Amino acid sequence: MSTPNTPDSNNSDSLYAKREKIYPRQVHGIFAQLRMLGVISLMGFFYGTPWLQWDGRQAVLFDLPGRQFHILGITFWPQDFFYLAVLLILAALALFFFTALAGRLWCGFACPQTVWTEVFLWIERKVEGGRPQQIKLDKTDLKHKWLKKTTKHTIWLVLSLFTGITFVGFFTPIHELWVNFFTFSLGPWENFWVYFYAFATYGNAGWMREQVCIYMCPYARFQSAMIDADTFIIAYDEKRGDPRGSRKKNEDHREKGLGDCIDCSICVQVCPTGIDIRDGLQYECIGCAACIDACDDVMKKMDYPSGLIRYTTQNALEGKLIHLLRPRTIIYASILMITTIMLIASISTRIPLEVDIIRDRNALYRETDEGLIENVYILKVINMDNIKHTYDMRISGIKDIKVGDNISTITVNSGEISSLPLRLQVDPANLTKRSSKVFFTLSAQDAPEIRLEQDGRFLGPRTR
Amino acid sequence: MDVVKEQKSPRIQRIIAVLWPSFIMASIGTILFFSAFDPHSLIDCGDLPDISRLGVYTIGFFLLWAITLSSCLLTCYFQRPCHNTTHCGD
Repeated sequence: MSTPNTPDSNNSDSLYAKREKIYPRQVHGIFAQLRMLGVISLMGFFYGTPWLQWDGRQAVLFDLPGRQFHILGITFWPQDFFYLAVLLILAALALFFFTALAGRLWCGFACPQTVWTEVFLWIERKVEGGRPQQIKLDKTDLKHKWLKKTTKHTIWLVLSLFTGITFVGFFTPIHELWVNFFTFSLGPWENFWVYFYAFATYGNAGWMREQVCIYMCPYARFQSAMIDADTFIIAYDEKRGDPRGSRKKNEDHREKGLGDCIDCSICVQVCPTGIDIRDGLQYECIGCAACIDACDDVMKKMDYPSGLIRYTTQNALEGKLIHLLRPRTIIYASILMITTIMLIASISTRIPLEVDIIRDRNALYRETDEGLIENVYILKVINMDNIKHTYDMRISGIKDIKVGDNISTITVNSGEISSLPLRLQVDPANLTKRSSKVFFTLSAQDAPEIRLEQDGRFLGPRTR
Repeated sequence: MDVVKEQKSPRIQRIIAVLWPSFIMASIGTILFFSAFDPHSLIDCGDLPDISRLGVYTIGFFLLWAITLSSCLLTCYFQRPCHNTTHCGD
């Protein structure tokens, strides 16, 4: 029988199924408590940090217009981009390390998508009720559910707006931002990004939920590459649980030929991505351990030992030993430690001074009235420190090199770039090469450890 | 004779495949571009209207997103099968 090749057809031959909404059942247990702890601390950290002050300014501020990132007492400039790159590499390495140890810990406990979705689901539960009430409500007509739905979406939108303001507050000082936003006196671009980010929060946490994890997240795609047979994963103990079947509570199930699994399918109901962990570890599983909590709860009620679904390794399930320390984990941990130490050392010994020497290209050199050879430069001095400095300048590299107008110091305000035109003069008798290297040494008068040497070129006539 | 039907990925996955990678690359591109080029320098050299830095970042980002989005759209378009793989029972 022929069937028309129509895309997205909803006829019975189509293999495309419309997505069914997942109603995760509420869980209680140790992992649920750990997750709640994670949510509270991470959200507290996110919403609280922009309000902290340091030395009269916001403690954490990514001042994009001013092209400076302030983190507590340190200010990072575009020249410090290298540190950001290293930080990103560190974050990636840490992620790989934890994945190799215990799978998708990030996904289940720390990822912002999980954290915000948890809060949005909590709000949904408070407004619409538990799983059975939610399913029932969605089946009723609009007349009966509009109030609850409107309440839920309003709370979601308010929280999203608060999130949007806080996010922009990392880039614009939040005290003014807050006031300006609610008095409608915020700049148009800041306004735009508040609403953009609020919309993203509302869309991802309220509507998309697990679809972000399944379809959008790149980590979800490659995390399995870091998991081996010794990684702790969430697994159903098939040997213990199967064959599954319901039975009376105090019955001897082993005599009946049954395993510990009573096939209550609560592990499926609590799963936020809607999978059945008893089928084995799957791509969609985000490692939230809700199934562990749920099953332990049931096992307790049945007076069976807990852990039918538990954190274990593939090798352990096959009866082999658990290998926490192995080449993969040791190497990740070592590289992580070394890179962290190097990054901290590098930042703490950073010299808050930058010197650029730009030689005037209009002429190779010129001869002064006294017969000296002269090169013209522009000296760019960037004071990346928090206070004003006066720098002593010393030139070396050619014997008896003189600075025009006898300039020997330069004062630069904090966070400013000073462009100083400079003339260097040399007795031609002291010139040994056509092109000589000269060294500009700057050191702060009030802080001798702030010292930098930069080299430039001094050009002269052909020497004999 | 059974008809071999291609299983299509969910619509949301196809939408995400166009919007999301383009968004990521546009963000990275914006960061790299504006780390090198200061908006005020661009306004001076390019004789462009006087907009705040954040405005320039925003417009630059969305322009870049439009370009990367077109790229993703074209990729998805060119991924469509060329040959008609389903045949009526013959």
